[in-house]
Amino acid sequence: MNRPMLISLDHMVNTVAAMLLVAVPHLVQAQSTDDSNYVVPLTPDGHPDLQGIWSNAVITPLQRPLELAGKAFLSEEEAEEYEQARVAANNMDDRNVDSDTDVRRAYNHFWWDRGTNIVVTRRTSLIVDPADGRIPPLTAAAQRRAEERAEYGRLHPADGPEDRPLMERCIHLNSAGPPMLPSAYNNNYHLVQTSDYILIINEMIHDARIIPLDGRPQLPANIRQLLGSSRGHWEGDTLVVETTNFTNKTNFRGASENMHLTERFTRVDDDILMYEFTVNDPEAFELPWTVQIPSVRADGLMYEYACHEGNEGLRGVLAGARNEEALAREAQQGPN
Amino acid sequence: MAFILPMFPHPGICAHFKELTFDQRSKCLHIRIEFAVLFSLMLGLCACDGANNPVSNDRQLIESDQIVRGADGRPKLDGIWQSLAGANWDIRAHAAASPVLDELGALGAAPPGLGIIEDNEIPYQSWAAEQQSENFANRLSLDPEVKCYLPGVPRANYMDQPFQIFQTTDFVMITYQYAGAVRTIHMNDPGPSPADSWMGWSIGHWEGDTLVVEVTGQNDQTWFDRAGNFHSNALHVVERYTMMSPNHLIYEAEIEDPEVFTRSWKISLPLYRRVEETVQLMNFKCVEFAEEILYGDLRKQPVE
Repeated sequence: MNRPMLISLDHMVNTVAAMLLVAVPHLVQAQSTDDSNYVVPLTPDGHPDLQGIWSNAVITPLQRPLELAGKAFLSEEEAEEYEQARVAANNMDDRNVDSDTDVRRAYNHFWWDRGTNIVVTRRTSLIVDPADGRIPPLTAAAQRRAEERAEYGRLHPADGPEDRPLMERCIHLNSAGPPMLPSAYNNNYHLVQTSDYILIINEMIHDARIIPLDGRPQLPANIRQLLGSSRGHWEGDTLVVETTNFTNKTNFRGASENMHLTERFTRVDDDILMYEFTVNDPEAFELPWTVQIPSVRADGLMYEYACHEGNEGLRGVLAGARNEEALAREAQQGPN
Repeated sequence: MAFILPMFPHPGICAHFKELTFDQRSKCLHIRIEFAVLFSLMLGLCACDGANNPVSNDRQLIESDQIVRGADGRPKLDGIWQSLAGANWDIRAHAAASPVLDELGALGAAPPGLGIIEDNEIPYQSWAAEQQSENFANRLSLDPEVKCYLPGVPRANYMDQPFQIFQTTDFVMITYQYAGAVRTIHMNDPGPSPADSWMGWSIGHWEGDTLVVEVTGQNDQTWFDRAGNFHSNALHVVERYTMMSPNHLIYEAEIEDPEVFTRSWKISLPLYRRVEETVQLMNFKCVEFAEEILYGDLRKQPVE
């Protein structure tokens, strides 16, 4: 938008938003190194520059552990202890076990890239709302759906590729979303910004989210996509992205295909991009819920993750299931 | 817009409409339509695109002789582009060809094309020319596109699906609708490719108004087209993107691979801008479409 009238409106919105940003309680609490004087650099077209390769590798869990109920933040000493304990728990490299357990322990620190730090705010969950740091209860319908899914999974764990998780099929990584959550490794995303678009590429599995900023409507309601349909706009220094048109295949923590996702990106420091998302899905959750992850600038570049092209694992899973069935049939027939 | 027509006063020429000759009636209607357009533009009434989606009045029309340039003075390649050359079927000149699967009939037949190769010749070494014939004969099982594998460079640029360019100072990103393939073009040289990949390692720089991209580090798994034209992992591609008008650019690629060809060779084709107001890339996550081919033999019960 190049008209002078709109530019001055932008400035006004910026000033008001900056004042509001200070007033918003959870965001202020969130900045332990409170630098509300941070002036975000601008792109050539006058918007906050959110660009870079960012990492979501934090070891704070999504939900507050039950043993920490009522404790929203850790002290500095508690944080250190907690980090050490989590890092040790993630390392399953203890080989002083029987060989079955040893073989099953395929992953250890050589593979994990979960990070070694909790979030800079020392909050005990990534969920900031509801106040108990837990996902709100599922509705009865969503509960039923989850039970049906689980039952089907028990009866048909591997009849064919469509019975396996999307990640195993190299179609989609749930934690790449949207919304984005930390995962086992490749917790990186590359944000590129032009005057009309935001482009977010998740390293795993090279998903490109193209977010127009020109105010166009969402895709027609009959078009459903794994990545949904996203539209972005600026609210002061914050990029707001609304996403709808999901399919019923992602099942994000029990969400329905009518989930309405709102994400907010705010650069709060040179190397910290505050990422926040709110799930609005009355069909699935009794309340909306909000997550905050301070993404940290990643060290180095991002690389190609060609998952499907190298997917030997899925063949192994299906072949293994067929083999187990064959063995079971042989056992039934008895020694004849 | 037809509903606007009755509202407008008749200019003198339209008086006594029923008594007019055919030619006079046409002229009258023409003028009424022009009035209606002028009036509705003045009122900012709905100007709608072909799909009856309202077109924002905030957008500016690009002047027909102006290429949009960024603050750095370089042409802006941003936008959604697509090839019309049909080169994904076969990059050489080719007549229409029968379908590789009989059941598809005309749906599966290759349309004809004049090819995109300068001199219309791929200078294969003699063993490689034989390999290409074998590839062609077995293309249904060998073409990586059938399995929804990433297409590599330059094939991604002339597939029959659109792609989108995002241009910034540090990176030029290209996202492809096919398989969600992605390329990062580093505008600050980060050094050589750390490992082979499907979409290669791209380093770009400007030469005047042309974006020049050197692509190395591609593995040997991709083809140039559906006709079995192939390469090794010694492939080295130099691309050139030059805007010729606001709505088309010329894409050239010099292909070098001493393991497969006797010399370097060159392709060239126009890429056209998709100009629909709300055009966008949509998901073509084709892995699901390839699962039957890849894993069907491991199903519990065969699909009937």
